[in-house]
Amino acid sequence: MTRMYHHLPVDAYMSQDWFDREQKLIFSRSWRYAGLAEDVPKPGHFISVQAGLNNIFIVMGRDHRLRAFHNICRHRGTQLIRAVGKTQKALTCPYHDWTYDLEGNLISVPDEAKEYPNGIDKSCLGLKPASVDIWRGMLFVHPDPNPPSLAKWFGAVDPLLGPHKPEELVEYPEARQSYKVKANWKIVVENYIDVYHLSHLHSNTLHMYDHARAEYGWKGPHYHFWEPPAADYAKDLNKNLPSPRTIPEPHAGAWVPMLFPGIGLGAGEDSWNIFIITPLAPGLTRVENRTKLANASGWEFQKQQWRSWSFWKDFGGLKYPDGDATGEDDPMASGDFTAEDIYACEQQQKSLTSPFFEVGPAANGESPVVKHQQAVLEFLEAQETGS
Amino acid sequence: MNPNFFSLKVADIRPEIKGKASSVIFDLPANLTETFRWQAGQHVTLRFRLNDSEQRRSYTISNPPGAPLRITVKRVANGLVSNHIGDHLKPGDTVDVMPPFGRFSLTPDPLYRRTHYFFGAGSGITPLFAMINAVLEEETHSVAHLIYGNADGDSILFGKELDKLTADHADRFTLRHVLSAPSMWSWNSPWRKGRVDVSMIKDAISETPPVAQDVQYWVCGPGAMNADVKDALVALDVPAGRIHMESFGGVEVAASSVIGIAANAKVELDRAIHDVPVAENQTLLNAVLSAGLTPPFSCQSGVCGACKARLIKGQVHMQAGMALEDSDVARGDILSCQSVAASDELSISFDK
Repeated sequence: MTRMYHHLPVDAYMSQDWFDREQKLIFSRSWRYAGLAEDVPKPGHFISVQAGLNNIFIVMGRDHRLRAFHNICRHRGTQLIRAVGKTQKALTCPYHDWTYDLEGNLISVPDEAKEYPNGIDKSCLGLKPASVDIWRGMLFVHPDPNPPSLAKWFGAVDPLLGPHKPEELVEYPEARQSYKVKANWKIVVENYIDVYHLSHLHSNTLHMYDHARAEYGWKGPHYHFWEPPAADYAKDLNKNLPSPRTIPEPHAGAWVPMLFPGIGLGAGEDSWNIFIITPLAPGLTRVENRTKLANASGWEFQKQQWRSWSFWKDFGGLKYPDGDATGEDDPMASGDFTAEDIYACEQQQKSLTSPFFEVGPAANGESPVVKHQQAVLEFLEAQETGS
Repeated sequence: MNPNFFSLKVADIRPEIKGKASSVIFDLPANLTETFRWQAGQHVTLRFRLNDSEQRRSYTISNPPGAPLRITVKRVANGLVSNHIGDHLKPGDTVDVMPPFGRFSLTPDPLYRRTHYFFGAGSGITPLFAMINAVLEEETHSVAHLIYGNADGDSILFGKELDKLTADHADRFTLRHVLSAPSMWSWNSPWRKGRVDVSMIKDAISETPPVAQDVQYWVCGPGAMNADVKDALVALDVPAGRIHMESFGGVEVAASSVIGIAANAKVELDRAIHDVPVAENQTLLNAVLSAGLTPPFSCQSGVCGACKARLIKGQVHMQAGMALEDSDVARGDILSCQSVAASDELSISFDK
């Protein structure tokens, strides 16, 4: 009998087959986060991103419009460009120096007359186009040159994501990080959207927000979540915020949506964060975080830090204080909610292999977990039936 | 398109830019709203009988779909029709109007998210104005940037309306004026002085680079400007398929030095073949009309595309081809109102 984990078989979290299917049908057929708009700031600049099975690069043309192409030389398939960089007018494959212009046209084949005495039709050997667009200050790529538009894909959930204008905020580079979690990507997503755990796993790390008053739901496969500040935080909110506001008053609260697939945002009154979940293997997932803050002077940040000090000095604490901690590096005694989450995900993944694993009933606050499983199933089914 | 004329009553007529142009609003009876439904950027053809001869002119509808049917007509020096409209037309008069048509049109879609750059000059603003309104009202995820050239501050059509759009849609609409001969006293300083050219276009795009990456470029101005803007955009690697343009105002029709030769034409129309003699320097359209046939046609100035035909055999000279896309030309499409014979045997079809 298939062991189930609510709607999905336990295998969906462990097997290579499921992983391959998701890579092919979900991550290679949807809009994928590729970076922040400022990562490609000027004509000639480019970045590349692995989006499921596709490696796609984005380059800005002289008209300031972005182009996306599959990062595959049309000759022998070599990846054309690496990571990030700038070019003036052309992209040259390192292998045989085939060269493409920024429109993807093949413009030069070295020793053409000698190597291809019967001629070569360069016009049929342009780079394969993909799609790119910018939404909420983020770059998204899609492997299809004519995909459903981003406005259509995110349109219904867009109004529920908070009043932030990420394009007007500035990145806080120290907060940029990338780490691996030894758990399936869906475990990481489900932890992110589990409302029940907020008051428990994070009892001493996220209690400036009132989880009991959280409002959440779904627009298609996209999850939206908002919760207000807790009473003592809200009482003198403008004083208590650790850094200057990113959104005008009277907006308050935390918006923590999870867009499909694995695109988490977390935005409060004073910051805007992204949480990008990328499957690496059935039991291994990468998380990338980036943070943007108000475009204010260092002095403004300093002032706000002083003003809010009295709130934060006694705030927070350890999940397991005193004797319960196993040692200095016990995540349950870190006082850091990210360390708490990673720990919970990895401990959960470990148990899936046990023949005795049997999932317990889902709580109300876990309804998003169950719904996400459904969203995965529905997306897979739609891709498989071609609808 | 519906090639018939309908008699419409003038509901209102207003002078614009101190009488140098007029906006005419027509009453549209309920039974004609469907027939006269238009896309932003399309035009209507008006028919007048002046000095004992029939005169047809195409004018762009300067309102977005859903608003009253309005055209805005700028006076042309010694222009027969534009001055008739400016001087004599009054509310209550009736005018023969052919339903809207034209392929220089923008169809807004609420699910599209696009960046539209509009480059206009003079009365070329009329279709752009309708398009900008359509984008701001109907395509709410999209933004519009207008670079608008005029001689001086006093000749700016829709100046007040555009200022209001700037105020009402500050996050989705930008407006930059370019004046070629700004008066010292009368107006605030424009964004740039001179004519809309390559460096201006480059500056404009880098000042407001596209956020939504489905970028479309709409160009409408007097003859030379369109070509200049297109060249500038192509020099920046803008793909031709994203550039949409229409010539306006100074379309030079008769000034061409090309003389047509006399020819015999086989003309396919309504699934019948007719032998039509073409006189020296006669347009194919006029030749076909003289033979008593009734081909579709409208503006007779190469703008509307109604008289389009397919050249099957022989050669023609076309004096203006603005209504044709590059792909039409590649297929062999011609505008019969703009074509004179360049070989003595021709074969064309209006049915293709």
